[in-house]
Amino acid sequence: MTAGTGYLSLSGLTKRYGEFAAVDGLDLDVPRGELVAFLGPSGCGKTTSLRMIAGLVPATAGRIVVGGRELTEVPTHRRDMGLVFQSYALFPHMSVAKNVAFGLEMRRVSRGEIAARVREAIALVHLTGKEEHRPGQLSGGQQQRVALARALVIRPSILLLDEPLSNLDAKLRDEMRNEIRDIQRRLGITAIFVTHDQGEALTMCDKVAVMNAGRLEQTGTPVELYEHPRTAFVAGFVGRTNRLKAVARDGALELAGQRLAAPSGISGTVEVMIRPHRVALAADAAVVAPGHHGVAGTVARATFAGDILQYDVDVAGQIVSVEAATRGGERVLEPGRAVMLSWRPQDLFVYASAR
Amino acid sequence: MDERPIAPALKVLAALMFLFLLAPLVVVVPISFSGDRYMTFPPSSWSTQWYGAIFADGRMVGAFWTSLALAAVVTTLSLAIGLPAAYALVRLKPRGAELLGSLFTAALLLPTIVLGLAILIVFARFGLLATFPGLVAAHLVVTLPYALRVLSTALSTLPIAVEEAAATLGAPPLTVFRRVTLPMMRSGLIGTAALCFLVSFDEVVLSLFMTGPRIATLPVAMYHRVEQQADPLVAALSVLLVVLTLAVVLVVDRSAGLAKTFVK
Repeated sequence: MTAGTGYLSLSGLTKRYGEFAAVDGLDLDVPRGELVAFLGPSGCGKTTSLRMIAGLVPATAGRIVVGGRELTEVPTHRRDMGLVFQSYALFPHMSVAKNVAFGLEMRRVSRGEIAARVREAIALVHLTGKEEHRPGQLSGGQQQRVALARALVIRPSILLLDEPLSNLDAKLRDEMRNEIRDIQRRLGITAIFVTHDQGEALTMCDKVAVMNAGRLEQTGTPVELYEHPRTAFVAGFVGRTNRLKAVARDGALELAGQRLAAPSGISGTVEVMIRPHRVALAADAAVVAPGHHGVAGTVARATFAGDILQYDVDVAGQIVSVEAATRGGERVLEPGRAVMLSWRPQDLFVYASAR
Repeated sequence: MDERPIAPALKVLAALMFLFLLAPLVVVVPISFSGDRYMTFPPSSWSTQWYGAIFADGRMVGAFWTSLALAAVVTTLSLAIGLPAAYALVRLKPRGAELLGSLFTAALLLPTIVLGLAILIVFARFGLLATFPGLVAAHLVVTLPYALRVLSTALSTLPIAVEEAAATLGAPPLTVFRRVTLPMMRSGLIGTAALCFLVSFDEVVLSLFMTGPRIATLPVAMYHRVEQQADPLVAALSVLLVVLTLAVVLVVDRSAGLAKTFVK
């Protein structure tokens, strides 16, 4: 992607605290109407990036452009963005209706229009009837809905969501997840969703930007990230995976004494990854489908978990987790049993080892 | 408050403490209704003449108004100076903010009498002695540290995200302060005002250095009165002041919650 083509366009966005780069040269383009996740572990710079977009943290370098308008030096209150905080950050001394009306009052919208738009926004988040309540009288989920209504009612150019679900319990989280996605789609609003939860990122968002140590690792659709992770970090962070050591030499991969076809251009010690449910396990050495990789191993542990059957298989000293959905009637193999593991070559990700 | 049962021994102790704290009132209130010419306890006869005498005493009435005006001006100035100072220390965090904070509250560590003497020496040179502005300045020396401390605490416990939310919704910095920060500091502001008012209104030692024949505050006038004649007028005045203080405390409690204001 070339910088400058998106509705929201970040180029070379950097935040340094002394020597430490919290965000280091972030380039990203978000098309209008898309929901993009900033995904990464804590301290990866995702929240700092969001706060730079909102203008709450000044950027050390780089540019922020929204709809062709350069915003890098524009103060927060003139950026026209809606931000939903993890802590909700409602005005405790104002009623729900007053909270929602605040942004419109700042925009000097007429009183009649404010009333109508506040009513509409409160209905959108299913809080009709709670207009005169104070935030302290509402549950966490309700407070987060007020925060969402307050951010949406101003019709912001961009909706920014900073871990909006992490203070909610599991059931509410699923509910709010769907609700936020529905509302975002219905209004066609461009949104950034910061999260450390890969499940949230994959299920809710059009695109996911995976960040690590201040840098963007990879941007793509959930399917692209899951099926074609460009770095070992992405493969490990998005979805579950086995991490194994292998040696690449002369265009072949040596894993557990077997020579497998390997992508060219890599040699030396490499890290290979494969997802547990992409590995087939057979008790019979003969059943490796043509074109598939096959390695031999021994069952180290078998776990029957009802809907899935899990094996830890010892492959020349390295443990490979294997998972298969149960269909009924399978025999659980005991530890010590010799087995054959096989997978499609494209399911094996190979990365140059970090040292 | 927790609703845990309280041990009987603790109840007795609490009752004794209250008795000890209230003991002066037990003496002062009856004396204020004395019909005698001198302070004796218990009084031999009863009357309300000393309450009348307060209002007949021009010096006392004048001193009362001086003290009231003084406390009002000092309170207003304490808030006006303390609030921006607290904001600067807590929010803008200049280099050495903590050191500055300690420095600004250091005046409280000095014995008032030392402070009074120092102020006397400095103010004499500027002709501020026994003037209203001089009194205001002297009182500010003691009220400002309180104001700064309470307001800083109030400010630092505010969640900053709420102010950031207001900014993202389009509120320029001053509007954020006026519409969000100030209302959220309400109990801190009321507490500071009450504290400054009472400290200024009650202040004796500094005022003794700063007053003279031309101007006197109520506590100073009372002090001189007791020195000269031992009639029960001062007791009657004390009761009025207790009632006034109680009224202030009740107003604070009603509007902000006393526990919330001072305990937090």
